Amino acid sequence: MKKTLALLLALVMVLSLGTVAFAADSVTLNVVTSYGGDDGNRANFEAAVKAYEASTGNKVNDGSATSNEEWKAKILTDFETGSEPDVLFFFTNADAEPFVTAGKVVSVDEIRAEYPDYATNMKSSMMAVASDGKQYSVPSSGYWENMFVNKAVLADCGIEVPGPDYTWDQFLSDCAVIKEAGYTPIACSLVEVPHYWFEFLVMNNGTVENQLDVPASVDDAAGQKWVAALEDFKALYEAGFFPANTLTASDAETVELFNAGEAAFLIDGSWKVGYFTANAADLNDFAISYVPAKGERSASEAIGGISMGYFITRKAWDDPAKREAAVEFVSQLTSDEVLSTFVTTEVTALVNGASPAGLNVLQQSAADANASITAISGAVQDTITSEAKGDLFGNIQNVVTGKMSPEDAVASAIALN
Amino acid sequence: MNSMIYKKKTPLLVFLIPAFAFLFVFLYYPFCQNILNTFLNIGGLGRGAEGVNEPWYENYRRLFTDPYMRTALKNTMLLIVCTVVFQVGIALILALLVDTIRVGAQFFRTVYFFPIVISATALGLMFNLIFLYKGGMVNQLLLSLGKLPYEVRPNGKMIVEWLDWKDQAHFLFTMFLPVMWQYVGFYFVILVTGLNNIPQDLYEAAALDGADGFRRTRYITLPLLCNVLCTCLVLAITGALKVFDLPWVMFGAGIPENLGWLTGTYMYDQTFNRMNVDYGSTIAVLIVVLGVVLSNVANRVFRPSEDL
Repeated sequence: MKKTLALLLALVMVLSLGTVAFAADSVTLNVVTSYGGDDGNRANFEAAVKAYEASTGNKVNDGSATSNEEWKAKILTDFETGSEPDVLFFFTNADAEPFVTAGKVVSVDEIRAEYPDYATNMKSSMMAVASDGKQYSVPSSGYWENMFVNKAVLADCGIEVPGPDYTWDQFLSDCAVIKEAGYTPIACSLVEVPHYWFEFLVMNNGTVENQLDVPASVDDAAGQKWVAALEDFKALYEAGFFPANTLTASDAETVELFNAGEAAFLIDGSWKVGYFTANAADLNDFAISYVPAKGERSASEAIGGISMGYFITRKAWDDPAKREAAVEFVSQLTSDEVLSTFVTTEVTALVNGASPAGLNVLQQSAADANASITAISGAVQDTITSEAKGDLFGNIQNVVTGKMSPEDAVASAIALN
Repeated sequence: MNSMIYKKKTPLLVFLIPAFAFLFVFLYYPFCQNILNTFLNIGGLGRGAEGVNEPWYENYRRLFTDPYMRTALKNTMLLIVCTVVFQVGIALILALLVDTIRVGAQFFRTVYFFPIVISATALGLMFNLIFLYKGGMVNQLLLSLGKLPYEVRPNGKMIVEWLDWKDQAHFLFTMFLPVMWQYVGFYFVILVTGLNNIPQDLYEAAALDGADGFRRTRYITLPLLCNVLCTCLVLAITGALKVFDLPWVMFGAGIPENLGWLTGTYMYDQTFNRMNVDYGSTIAVLIVVLGVVLSNVANRVFRPSEDL
């Protein structure tokens, strides 16, 4: 009996050692991306992660969340406090500078010294370059921002879906008709996401070429452009073209207003196509159109580009157990096959281009609209600091209600940049 | 043997030092560092200071001139008053009522305490739906009762003037109601426990002397409950100063139009969203100072009579 017990115990011990040895081969990667919440590519990301886990035996701790200013601030704080993830999918612009300059992520060149095939499927010219002249991230799909329209609302108001020659005056006239018919012309939460409109209003008061000029003072050309953009905001608000509760509503509320056929226009990004694909009662009611233009801008000029990419952190790189796992993760997630599942109408940096599967009616509408885009610029908000951005967008509600002048709002943001 | 335990202090110290060390490392040291941070220029959590502010008391000067801080303080003071009057008040009434019933007391204790165990985030989302502008529960109810004006346009579209429960006229009610509702059960349980500790023979003696229910409550229950009430008030006041989660989920950054700040939400916004860590630290110091001062005032005002 004692012998049997001893044998059993010894067997258990050997098995547990084996389990430990097996577990030691499996690496757990901490990954943070913006493919969380209702992101249109959430399901594609989950599938890619599962495929990675199945092919490598590694585990992924997915800390993805919806991208917003709070999320960005949290990521930066994680880097500052030493609790950064192993792999991060993040913005490649000024937002990434704090952890890039602190040496907390590894450059592509350094990774290629050990893994020569790393990111060779990407066009080098389209990979973001940091302030030190090095490339740190491997780009995923790009993005575009443009105007979504609810065709059912427009049809009820007797208005045609706008084309690439849509003018500001025509837009104001259409908004008045839409409002009179009992609909909300523009679905937008001024308190939560005024930035899409801000970008286009800035472009409307300048050009696509000088879109990224950041004011040094209220009186310079860029400053005056921003002031004029805020004045346009105020005019739209005073005309009653935003939802009645635009100063208290969340983005989700105003998007739902649009989705439910209560609002006509919505400026949003390529990621929103997935939302409507999943949530629209009838996808045929929606189309991608053009943001109305004034001044030197044409409505066929839009905001877009590739603004995000995968970073491997120094912490993961310096960990011999995680180095290869992290490189393999980024390689798989940015492979031609995986990126083709993420892309419908967005630009990519793939050398061979993406091969998306069949497009639905809204994706086709986006592809048609993109085909008529004549010029594109990045978003100017991506070039200013988080403090300045938070202050500027936080003050838009004060500007439209007359509590603050546009000049003071711009000056306040400049002081924080 | 027993006397040796009290004579030898070393065992006591062995047990006291870990707790003290824990508090020192995770409370007193960060608090002292936080005070120091108020004089420095810190542009992000975890970042090193970029020198001393110019002048060094800049954050304190700003604290007293910042209009949003004034709004936050005003709202927080109002929340404290509402907390004391409604949270503790309603909890007291419910406790007195439940204490008088013989059957179902345990049921009511569980029911009233239940909101405490639900996460504030879940409650915030629930109340967001209840007070939703278009199609929210309250607005639908008002519409069905004919309390919301509406018109039908020539195209057959019905336009309803929904009530915005988060606008300037209603936000305080919408913000405070869930906070009040959530914590009534907490004070209710404390007060019921206090009521159970009052000896029954006092009530029996009073009944023999002809005292009715109201008099028994007025002259026996409330005086003997004074200590517990005082504890509840101190907890309510300090708790109201720290309220953050529910208002943040429902109102975010100062909705509406920067009128909806509380000291807790404003501190969070400055620290985590605006990356203004030193100013956020200054607001935190103010919250602590207010907590200490107000709880001391409450202790003195509601201190039980020496005669009891």
